[in-house]
Amino acid sequence: MSRLALSLRINGVTHDVLTEPHRTLLDVLRDDLGLTGTKENCLEAECGVCTILLDGRAVNSCILLAAQCQGREIVTIEGLARAGVFVPLQQAFVDHGAVQCGYCIPGMILAAQAYLDECPEPTDDGIREALAGNLCRCTGYQKITDAVTAAARGLARARTTQ
Amino acid sequence: MSIETRVVGKSLPRLDAAGKVTGTAVYAADFALPGMLHGKILRSREPHARLVRIDAGRALALPGVRAVITATDVLDVRYGGGLKDETVFARDRVRYVGQPVAAVAATTREAAEAALAAIDVVYEPLPAVLDLEAALAPGAPLIHEAWQTYTAIPILHREGNVCQRARIVVGDMERGFAEADRVFEHEFRTAMVHQGYTEPRAAVAAWDSAGQVTVWSNTQLPFEIQNTLAEILALPPSKIRVIVPGIGGGFGGKLRVGVEHFAALLARRTGRPVKVVTTSEEELTAAYPRQGTRVELKTGVTRDGRITAKEGRIWFDTGAFAGSGPGVASVATLVLAGPYRIPNLLLEGYAVYTNKTNCGSFRAPSGPQSNFAVESQMDMIADALGLDPLDFRLKNIVREGDEGPTGQVLEAVGLEECLRRAADAIGWRDRRPAPGRGKGLACGWWTTTGGSSGVYVKINPDGSVAMNTGAAEIGTAALTGAAQVLAEELGVDLADISVVSADTFATPFDFGAQGSRTAFAVGNACRAAVADLRRQLFGLAAAQLGVDAEALTLRDKAVVADGKRIALAELARLSQASGGGLIAHGTFIAPPTPYDAKRVEAHVYPAFHSPSFHAHAVDLSVDRETGEVTVHRYVVAQDVGFAMNPRYIEGQIEGGVAQGLGQALSEEIVYENGRVLNPNLTDYKMPTSLDLPRVESILVEHPSLVGPYGAKGVGEPPNIEPPAAVANAVAAATGVRITTLPITAEKIALALRGEGPA
Ligand code: FES
Ligand code: FES
Repeated sequence: MSRLALSLRINGVTHDVLTEPHRTLLDVLRDDLGLTGTKENCLEAECGVCTILLDGRAVNSCILLAAQCQGREIVTIEGLARAGVFVPLQQAFVDHGAVQCGYCIPGMILAAQAYLDECPEPTDDGIREALAGNLCRCTGYQKITDAVTAAARGLARARTTQ
Repeated sequence: MSIETRVVGKSLPRLDAAGKVTGTAVYAADFALPGMLHGKILRSREPHARLVRIDAGRALALPGVRAVITATDVLDVRYGGGLKDETVFARDRVRYVGQPVAAVAATTREAAEAALAAIDVVYEPLPAVLDLEAALAPGAPLIHEAWQTYTAIPILHREGNVCQRARIVVGDMERGFAEADRVFEHEFRTAMVHQGYTEPRAAVAAWDSAGQVTVWSNTQLPFEIQNTLAEILALPPSKIRVIVPGIGGGFGGKLRVGVEHFAALLARRTGRPVKVVTTSEEELTAAYPRQGTRVELKTGVTRDGRITAKEGRIWFDTGAFAGSGPGVASVATLVLAGPYRIPNLLLEGYAVYTNKTNCGSFRAPSGPQSNFAVESQMDMIADALGLDPLDFRLKNIVREGDEGPTGQVLEAVGLEECLRRAADAIGWRDRRPAPGRGKGLACGWWTTTGGSSGVYVKINPDGSVAMNTGAAEIGTAALTGAAQVLAEELGVDLADISVVSADTFATPFDFGAQGSRTAFAVGNACRAAVADLRRQLFGLAAAQLGVDAEALTLRDKAVVADGKRIALAELARLSQASGGGLIAHGTFIAPPTPYDAKRVEAHVYPAFHSPSFHAHAVDLSVDRETGEVTVHRYVVAQDVGFAMNPRYIEGQIEGGVAQGLGQALSEEIVYENGRVLNPNLTDYKMPTSLDLPRVESILVEHPSLVGPYGAKGVGEPPNIEPPAAVANAVAAATGVRITTLPITAEKIALALRGEGPA
């Protein structure tokens, strides 16, 4: 099969990959680049565990062809914490007991990140709306919603004190 | 009750949180080895058929395909829990759509999938037994003609398509019903539902040159998988190492061998590591879902609301193989009794074969189905007698020192407090606050599963502590809870503890992450380990400090006495220099719960250990046009004995209610003519963030006599009562009683229009 030479910008680093045109970004992330923080489950855009940020927007990488991502800015869960320091959402998820099995959590945090970037003063309903595409079977979403609210408050405080 | 504690009982963050929020935690589905092949399973397309021929010639010729195996390539072994009826592949007959027929290994997933499509299978369809009625009908075709030849634990009562009938008999039914002023008979049904864990079942297997296989799997029960693989491969268990990396949820669905055996067999055939991961379609057609059921209840009650007798039967549609059916059918009888004092009981649980997927265990197996029937009927009776459902329950509930249905003496019974506090919180006295709005209650009891646990606890020379347990962390934070017990007892901080878990070669035995037992049993094993470490530490410290060992205590990461102290780190170094280091093996097994053996027949689970009690209350509205239910508030009051980590217990309650509401309102694996109509996450509707209310948790603490600090099992119970609570609230809101799960908007709307069965 013919292969495409792609140059993918992931977490601020450029990766040159050679891949078949039918392969998804999820395949490339997990199988070629070893970035397994992005999870896989349904592979049909129903569960959200494969959520990544593409140019700042939360998308399901299981239905996104790698070839479509050339020249765009990709952020995965591995790209959030810098030098071991959590971003506020990660810290809030830990502090609020929002993590159980954790399999949905990378996608959940990225979906929440995209939402907070767009809507820094969220409501409970807004958060639930934003996370509706991310299935979590462990938590009932309550502590996740609380964590996102807390992270937003923390970010707002940080903005006003800046 | 209040105990002065530093670590246990506090809402501290879980030990494994950092890896989970940064994406560095490795789950079985993430695991890979160099040179690894990908395995896929070819599954039956027929519910019941003779397997005439399998031809893999075309598949083997495809690029990248390394092996195709079928029944003729594996030993003819039947395996299973209490009843060994399952085989790796169908041999000459397929018994459900989804049953494994062949497995392939190829260099890529795509190549493996192409190979599946190229295997030619010829079926000769046979009449299928599609539901409970057909399976139980006189002269019904036998799903397993040779059922009598299967190995089973002798206690099971089996007969044809019935692979277990458990029974509880108490008192005199005739007299009990004669004493009643009214006798109520009702029937209920519940749907087959899936655990819905977000990580598919996954395993990687690799053999070494010494003939030993290592399997990395997201199983909840590594030791059971080790033993099952030993049976399937005809190897001693010592040749099989099962390691559990992270698990993306289990909820009982990852107890039994699922993909591990295929990975191991394909890896042996190809000489390469092989990974097998299920698809959503496989999950919804060929996993271990919760059984659909039919329940019949006949209850005698006096005019003033005292229950005099109850006769109940529940039939579990366990599918083509027994799976967890025999155990589940047994447990169900205790749930059918309800947490009530009833002097005369005849309760039966049946596990029945049909041509459907093999059912298993799902969080509180048998709980939601049985409780839905029992607690719906409690409200139906209360309504008929003009009693308030709360008062009717309070009149009949078990209290301290009462007997359970099989004669066990009940201790630490927090049920009345749970009921009253849940009712108060929901505003019970205003049960129908507006047209189309209503409140419902349901209560129940559940077990803390027994089985043994061992831990090795090692104090490192830097003063940190390694806790090595055979239990897997399936997401509940149970191992963080156990580590809190360990830290408390050892006088260290939670952050000082690191956990190594679930490796059948390196970790001590554990009965497994199931049955609400992990924090309870591993926590107690940790206490035993600390008792041993204390002796070791005090012996060393007494010599160093020149004081009597009796005068010593553990505090602040040190052994202290009379103003003198020596750090644990120092003692660990001393021990390493002189005595091989500080390590202890702590073990625990729950003491047997005495019961009256005369009351049970063919019962594999005759008593509930350290039982928990709980009450749920819900406030919801029903749209009279569409039948759509909106849940406004949901309250759970659960007697947890002692809250080892309140925040994660709330997490268990919130998550359990979420799954329970899914089963109550939307979830169903829909079968038609033996085929699943909705084998994908679009049509199998699990609750999203938009579908769920906030859950208010009330932690009631009536300490158990056995659990660490009085704890009881907490993980499963929150999943039990939601269907009944919702059914009761829908009835309060609309006057319509739905007796089948799920309670879909369509069912309610039809019932409101006076059409269709409720
Ligand atoms: S794996 Fe992509 S949405 Fe489920
Ligand atoms: S934490 Fe397990 S699925 Fe969300």
